[in-house]
Amino acid sequence: MRTAAVLAALAGACLLSSCARTAFVMESDDPLESAWNDYTLGEFDRAVEKFGALRAGAAAGDDTWCEATYGLATTWNLRRPGEDPAAARVLYEELIATAPAHDLTAWSRLALARMKHLVPVGEDPDYNEVRRAYREVMTMHPGHLAAQEAFLYLNSTLISSLEPAQTKQALEALERAVADPSYQFTGPAWSLIAVGSHTLGDMERRLYAEEMSLKTTEVDPTNPFTEYAWQYWNLATIAEFEVGDFDKARLYYRKLIEEYPQDIRVYAAKQALQRMDDLEMKIRAEM
Amino acid sequence: MKALFHFIKSYFALLMVGLVFAWASGSILVYRNRTAPPGATVLRIGHWQLEASVRDAINEMARRYREIHPNVYVVQDAIPEGVYGQWVSTQLLGGTAPDIVQVGAMLPWNIWLSYYNRYFIPISREVNRANPYNRGTELEHTPFRQTYKDGMRTAYVDEMQEYVSIPLSQFGIRIFYNKDLLKRLTGLDAAPEDYREFLRACERIASQKDERGNHYIPIAGSQYHFGMWDSMMFDPLTYGAVRKADFNRDGFVGNDELYTAIKTGRLGMKFPPFEAKFRMLREVTDHFQPGYTGLTRDEAVFLFAQQKAVFMTTGTWDARSLQKQAEGRFEVGVMDFPVPAADDDYYGPIIEGRNYERPGGGFAFGITRTSRNPELALDFLLFMASQAQNEELNRIIGWIPCILGTEMDPMLEAFEPHLEGIYSAMNLWLGGETATKWMQLYSAYQVDQVSYDGLVEQFEPFYKEQGYKDFMEQQRDWRRGMHQNERFLAGIRARALASEGEEAESAWVKYRALTTSRQIWAELTHNRQVQLIEKGPDLEAVGPYEYSPAVLKKIRERIKKEK
Repeated sequence: MRTAAVLAALAGACLLSSCARTAFVMESDDPLESAWNDYTLGEFDRAVEKFGALRAGAAAGDDTWCEATYGLATTWNLRRPGEDPAAARVLYEELIATAPAHDLTAWSRLALARMKHLVPVGEDPDYNEVRRAYREVMTMHPGHLAAQEAFLYLNSTLISSLEPAQTKQALEALERAVADPSYQFTGPAWSLIAVGSHTLGDMERRLYAEEMSLKTTEVDPTNPFTEYAWQYWNLATIAEFEVGDFDKARLYYRKLIEEYPQDIRVYAAKQALQRMDDLEMKIRAEM
Repeated sequence: MKALFHFIKSYFALLMVGLVFAWASGSILVYRNRTAPPGATVLRIGHWQLEASVRDAINEMARRYREIHPNVYVVQDAIPEGVYGQWVSTQLLGGTAPDIVQVGAMLPWNIWLSYYNRYFIPISREVNRANPYNRGTELEHTPFRQTYKDGMRTAYVDEMQEYVSIPLSQFGIRIFYNKDLLKRLTGLDAAPEDYREFLRACERIASQKDERGNHYIPIAGSQYHFGMWDSMMFDPLTYGAVRKADFNRDGFVGNDELYTAIKTGRLGMKFPPFEAKFRMLREVTDHFQPGYTGLTRDEAVFLFAQQKAVFMTTGTWDARSLQKQAEGRFEVGVMDFPVPAADDDYYGPIIEGRNYERPGGGFAFGITRTSRNPELALDFLLFMASQAQNEELNRIIGWIPCILGTEMDPMLEAFEPHLEGIYSAMNLWLGGETATKWMQLYSAYQVDQVSYDGLVEQFEPFYKEQGYKDFMEQQRDWRRGMHQNERFLAGIRARALASEGEEAESAWVKYRALTTSRQIWAELTHNRQVQLIEKGPDLEAVGPYEYSPAVLKKIRERIKKEK
């Protein structure tokens, strides 16, 4: 029996020795960074454990406590499966109550609003309640990026309704935002203005807003993989079919052809240039 | 002796395990010593390409690389396709993966995505720097990603906003043919690229018998090959539907748009481009061997290699092996898919040109986080992706290089992608029961069990009736995607909050861009789709690519003013 145990142990040791090393999974010396890495990789149990340990070891309201509480709340809120929205809500609210001046308070308020907006599959959000929550973020944290994001979401719910009255209300607010140089979501706001103008049938404004959206598109400095092909196509077709501005349509069709010669829409863009030429020629011949 | 026998008898199973383990360990040690001398730096590279030419090419790259880095040895783990998914998963999970691993296939995309996240090193920073191995060429100062024919687009993982792999080849699909057999049976020196002439050649081939009295088969087909014919030749005929049903004018006909168009009568399945697709499908597949839908890829290749069939479609990945199989017996030619002439009585008014092909890189490799030499692994990949070496690598394999300014085997010139052309606009896929019905009828049509009229008669009313329910069921999941995006965005936000300087700026730009593209537009797009499906397009309005009377009036006035 003893021999068998020794043999088995030896065999086990041999087999274990064949495992070279365990996978390195973005371990970090910074426990907070390590916890966020686990969250990003979907290792939610480990994230909960790490955020929880950090939170337990810090004084309520200090920086580490706030960051750990926010991380823990985010994990309970957004992990799938195993989410616990009630626990997340309690943690966000605790952070807001304990450290009202901390930067993460604004993000926690936004998270609470988003929880109201992102209801489970098959349910519809209570849009009045959602909008009230977004307005609260904007009122409590004016100028904060979280408030600017809340503003964008708030108006997107109005624009997404595709109803003229709500669209008009959103357009007024968005026009004010794009005139404010401190607003950081200018490009997306112009895009929403374009969609709203479409809903209201104001195609000239739609074209202008789309052009402004193109001009204000942000470029990531470390990864400038920005593609404008779709925006060129969109602008060209609005100019051609909605506004009848062939100069502008030609400008954007040509930009698409020249800057993105491998784009799938190049054939259609060339056809469009020909179509406009033919139409103008036909009209001139008729005159 | 008796005691020994008793011991062996008692512990036979355990001893067997021990012996096998010792044998395996010994084999590995011998293999490793044979591939690299003691003290050498070893780079392991895992891939699923069992073709001899691929292994030869990588060995040649390793030899050349060793001329610059004398102590570096490259060891290949060539794993069969059938088990590659399991193998790579085991290696990654166990922390024993090679330094460099071929990625992007053999596992579902979502699995690769989770592996990229967890086990691979992002290389976004590196791809924006020049490749040092392009020194002395016109690409010397060009950022690495821009040295690719496709701008390295296929290596960018949108979900991660990162580059994680380096492609080394470009792929394409064309028709391969037996030049000698074609000449013997039809008298033609080259395969006809005119559609009618191609069909006539197929008829001539089918009418003749081999020495055993069996009819020659014009086209070697299988279910695997059918997909290629469908996407390259039949589907693009439906492009005309874009002008009728692309209501949001994005250049494509979505499943919601086609459903709405058919439901409201703007389009029907008797729409000439749709009918043309099915007519061509019938005309071409009539020249496949009987029962092709039940045959596998290998069975079709066998027919071709045995000179029983003249044509077969496949990709660049098979080019060299087909050439090898034909060596000394017949010459392999490559032709583009035949296209009807513009004055063709039936197809002429429908066909607008060749199909569009997006040039994309493949044969892509990522660097694993467990690599002991990640910088060296990256350097070796950059070496293979340099202009000169990429040309040589692909020349040996028989594939198309993916780097700008490289030359390819003349045989592969026919694979140059069509960067301008038409594409499919017949997306009937709504999931649920309509999808099942469609698959059944489409399969029946392929084997000539139902005519096109019969297919339309059975499918169109069902699609109109059931389509709304299936579409709405499919749409139920749209909010699930938003939850996933929210989780992803929270991670990016955390990174942005924790970083400083350019890194923070980059993270915030990404955050704002993704917030807009994934969360703002998702709800809007969903609402617009539902509105289109429920209310339908304005029946009074002109088609999406037609001018309204108001716009026409405006154009007339402008031209009048110009005069």
